[in-house]
Amino acid sequence: MNDVQPQRRSGGLTGTKRFVVVIMALFLGWHVFATALWVAPSSALREVVPGDALRGYMMPMFGQSWSVFAPEPISADYYFDVRASMTVGGQESVTEWVRASDVELSRATHHLFPPRSAMSALAQALETRNAWLKLSREQKAVFEANYYEGDDWSARMDRALDEAPGQETALTRYKEEDRASTAYATQVALAVWGDGVQRVQYRVARHPVVTFEERNDVAPERPAPSFVNPGWRGLVVEPGQSQELFGSYFCAAPAQVCEV
Amino acid sequence: MSNLRTVTHSGAGETCDGKREPRLPVLVRIKVELLKRLEDGTGWLVSRPRSLYGLAVTRILLGIAGLGLLLTNFNARHYLFGAAAAWNGQNADPASAFPRIWLFSIFRAVADIPAMLTFLYVVAAVAAVLFTLGWRTHVVGPAHLVLWVSLIELNDAVSDQGDNAYRIFVLLILFTRCSEKWSFDAVRSRKRGDETSGGRWFTNTVHNIALAAMVFQVFAIYVAGGFYKLGGESWQHGYAAYLPLQTAQFGTWPELSELVTAWGPAVVIASWGSIVIQVFFPFLVLQRSTRRLGMLAVLAFHGSIGVLMGIPWFSLAMIAVDAIFVRDRTYRSIAVRMRDAMTRRKTPRAPVLTRSTTKELV
Repeated sequence: MNDVQPQRRSGGLTGTKRFVVVIMALFLGWHVFATALWVAPSSALREVVPGDALRGYMMPMFGQSWSVFAPEPISADYYFDVRASMTVGGQESVTEWVRASDVELSRATHHLFPPRSAMSALAQALETRNAWLKLSREQKAVFEANYYEGDDWSARMDRALDEAPGQETALTRYKEEDRASTAYATQVALAVWGDGVQRVQYRVARHPVVTFEERNDVAPERPAPSFVNPGWRGLVVEPGQSQELFGSYFCAAPAQVCEV
Repeated sequence: MSNLRTVTHSGAGETCDGKREPRLPVLVRIKVELLKRLEDGTGWLVSRPRSLYGLAVTRILLGIAGLGLLLTNFNARHYLFGAAAAWNGQNADPASAFPRIWLFSIFRAVADIPAMLTFLYVVAAVAAVLFTLGWRTHVVGPAHLVLWVSLIELNDAVSDQGDNAYRIFVLLILFTRCSEKWSFDAVRSRKRGDETSGGRWFTNTVHNIALAAMVFQVFAIYVAGGFYKLGGESWQHGYAAYLPLQTAQFGTWPELSELVTAWGPAVVIASWGSIVIQVFFPFLVLQRSTRRLGMLAVLAFHGSIGVLMGIPWFSLAMIAVDAIFVRDRTYRSIAVRMRDAMTRRKTPRAPVLTRSTTKELV
């Protein structure tokens, strides 16, 4: 058959070199196949790859998902609100709600190159709300209660949660979000109102945009936001947290809310 | 009737007149054809590195996109990745796998020390600049990849699919000879009088395979993105483009959002157009006759998303990889024309450079 294989096509490669080239081409074939399987919706075709080899090959380096803005694009704003209970001159008072997510987003609106810090609170609100939706009614009731008295408020809340019926994984997930949200609210409260802050409360909301049909109305009616309203919490400051760096950046946003 | 003749013919195999090629049995002919294809494929992979100018453009634009993201977030570095961000618990317990992986954990190791974070952040930015310029790319390229991924993956909450795309493309381009044109590496090797291309069967093959993987990756992103959209009601009815533009996060220019979504048919064209350009992108750019249309459409797609939705660097990264679909011949003629224009401006009466000078523009 040698006479029908023109040598020039393969650049006159010897057998070993040609073998190496074929192996590399086969590897490309595998890569393409694996990427296609990974990027497509999961299907029974994934069974042709033995064990966990597909995930093992794709993750983490080739990890990707392209259902962005699909099947439905994002169609709502997310809010992260914070308020605090203050003691100033022996007087207790509760502050107004501050929409921390709007403070951050003021760095993005009318900016060609928005920083990612514009959506820290927004992302936290979204995660918190999504975790909330998985909780049982009893678990929600515990989180909606106030826990801030003394040094053991966190332990008391945990005990109450252990007794509440509901999914374990959902609980673990919301506990993490509650802690992060409280820690974030603490930083915001200290930045906005200063050292008099005694305890904090956060709430998150999803607010759908005006529907497409109504967008050109004179006074379009935007659907009402739906809130998640956990109770008051004691302050949470994570190890290594710099209040100064947080406050100086948060308060430098175009939307000015800091009172101290 | 003719069918019968064919059957007899191929069945007979050896019967042929002097002018025709000898008829071989079907299986043998398939084998010959396959071997020929294999030879062609091997030849494509081995003979020379493809798209050297296209990959140079990709490298430059990817570098700018990576640098742009770093500069955009420089003032926010502690708030996103450092001591001001301890509240999110990600340094303590990263959500992404990368901060636990050797080398990619470098930013996690120093992020809580403000001075160290700033220092390493500057190093990452310098690496991005050098990668863009194509300076010692075989060292700087991997460094840029590791530093960039190490930083970005430290805050999973605000990262997006653009980060995944960027990481994959930068990884793949490192296996190509992306700094052989329009780079400091190219200038240096020309001064040394290095022989480029030809004879290097192994690096040619690696280069071309990585290029093919990049091409497929681009197609995968577009086609998958298009197909997932098809399942959504708002995409089907053509108002999907309206929705994100009304949010604060993806409608960074509210007045513009209102303006471009006021007329219904334009919203439908944008929504359906997104799906059409994504699903048909491979077919448009692989055909020479439709390539220009495909490129213009995809540029308009990324350009408008980048500006209107406040995601400029992801858009630029996608434009960067789309640049590999423009032929080297086109890039060279653009370069010649640009040089012509510049020469004319400097010395109005100097003889105009012709296309014959193309070869000098390495």
